[in-house]
Amino acid sequence: MSTNDILFLAEFDAGQATRSALELAAGAAALAAQSGGEAVALAYGPGAADGAAGLGAHGAARCVVLGDERRPAVVHAPAATAVAREGALALLAPATPNGRDLAAALVGSLGLPAFGPVRAVRLVDGTLETEQATLQGAVITTSRPNEGAPSPSVVLVLANTFTPIEGGTGSAAVSTAPTDDGESGLARATIAESQPAEATVVNLEEATVIVAGGRGVGSQEGFGVLQELADVLGGAVGASRAAADAGWVPYQLQIGQTGKVVKPSLYIAVGISGAIQHRVGMQSAEHVIAINRDPDAPIGEFADLFVVGDLFGVVPALTDELRRRRGE
Amino acid sequence: MKIVVCIKQVPATGADKRYTDDLRLDRASAEAIINPLDEYAIEQALRLADDGVADVITYLTMGPESASEALRRALAMGGDDAVLVSDPGLAGSDEWVTARVLAAALDRLAPDVALMGMASDDARGSLVPGAVAAMRDVPLLSYGAELRVAGNEARVRRLSSDGFDWIAAPLPVVASLTDQVGEPRYASLKGIMAAKRKPLETWTLADLGLSAAELHGGALTRVTGARPPEAKPPAERVENVTPTEAAARIADWMAARKLI
Repeated sequence: MSTNDILFLAEFDAGQATRSALELAAGAAALAAQSGGEAVALAYGPGAADGAAGLGAHGAARCVVLGDERRPAVVHAPAATAVAREGALALLAPATPNGRDLAAALVGSLGLPAFGPVRAVRLVDGTLETEQATLQGAVITTSRPNEGAPSPSVVLVLANTFTPIEGGTGSAAVSTAPTDDGESGLARATIAESQPAEATVVNLEEATVIVAGGRGVGSQEGFGVLQELADVLGGAVGASRAAADAGWVPYQLQIGQTGKVVKPSLYIAVGISGAIQHRVGMQSAEHVIAINRDPDAPIGEFADLFVVGDLFGVVPALTDELRRRRGE
Repeated sequence: MKIVVCIKQVPATGADKRYTDDLRLDRASAEAIINPLDEYAIEQALRLADDGVADVITYLTMGPESASEALRRALAMGGDDAVLVSDPGLAGSDEWVTARVLAAALDRLAPDVALMGMASDDARGSLVPGAVAAMRDVPLLSYGAELRVAGNEARVRRLSSDGFDWIAAPLPVVASLTDQVGEPRYASLKGIMAAKRKPLETWTLADLGLSAAELHGGALTRVTGARPPEAKPPAERVENVTPTEAAARIADWMAARKLI
């Protein structure tokens, strides 16, 4: 353990490291190479103990296992013990609801500087510097910890900021966080009842292609047309708040200020006017195509390609065209 | 049952926003409003009062003197009184300091339920509710799409990866709410008049027993640069063509960028 190490939260699910864990492993490894420290995973969730060593192939030098629970209320106590003991330069956390809750609990209980959600993080002359869109994207700011601020700096990272290291070899050295016997107030929150959705819901934060629909899609059935396009692109379907509020898709698919914040390489906005609350959820997408009937829709201001037309004509035609080019 | 709703004054949605030369948010340049997501938390508190569950509703904010306007607007929607924490030592505060100050004020107000919006318009880290809960060593009920308070327990309905969970905890709690909880009410003229007479106190750091040194001079982080976002070239437009032609043009565009 060293003050140059870079910690990252590595959530496991059903025995597998999540996509965010692999992305943060790559980010932590890149930062650690600059700082002269090691990338150290704090692994938690179902299967974390068995899968921890495997993070070595993705950039982690060491891995501290916090347990097989993934709820921040439970993970917080061993995480706080491990973070305090490690004394690292930075802690990368995924900007997901669970990632934010765990990061927040660490910021609160250990008194740490907080950053993000960031779209870039780097070291400048040995000092951490983050870059983020603030004021709903109106300003890009850079931030640093103050002189003498405690470490590690807690950095929320948007999905798809880092690309996982694939094809690596190696195994992370695994240790276990000491069990915490203290009674934590946070841990008094429990799951009283769980209701799974009727249909399987994809994790939008992990999608590299998203086909998102808005009010213009008009109905639950309308989203079927978007799903076909998403399928041919190997992507996922998302939605604006209007479409989720209308009940056409589950809220898990909502993108925007109060839904998911996504950063895919391709975002196709279909029948979405482009309110600022939607924009903050997708403004970091690499390429944006908008398909809208209204030539003056605000989405045109932040699209790269703006197709004015009826979505029920254009989207199926695009699906067919892509299939044809593939020789299907 | 006592509820404290923590609110934040932010520049109006869509207003022209910028940073001052000393890298702070230029609060003078834009109309200030209650952070829209906080209004959903206010509405939930007022509904708990309407239902006879809550006896006292207090609003709490931290900010410059002018942030008292946000408290008056909240009081116009309903509720009983308000506290503004304002101190020169808090200019340029970050998330940790905000959480530390709110936690100290909540220790003094001792609510059964502290409500907050799930995020603020101007920062969006969403870390303050969780940090406040950890500092006060009370449970966090986060991202609630629905809130229920009964007896000695609060619970929220929270989206899970594939459905939703009801998360429950004994009081006192900190809860953060989404915009699915129900649309906030408008202030009535009567409410606006009544708000002028409701008690509004201003507390300093000294009142909370906090020193500037303890708060690391007001922040653990600092903004080192602010610039406009990269100018995006105007969108390439495809219009007045058949769906088939549009589809071919989109596919060409995607192929040129190696997206297919």
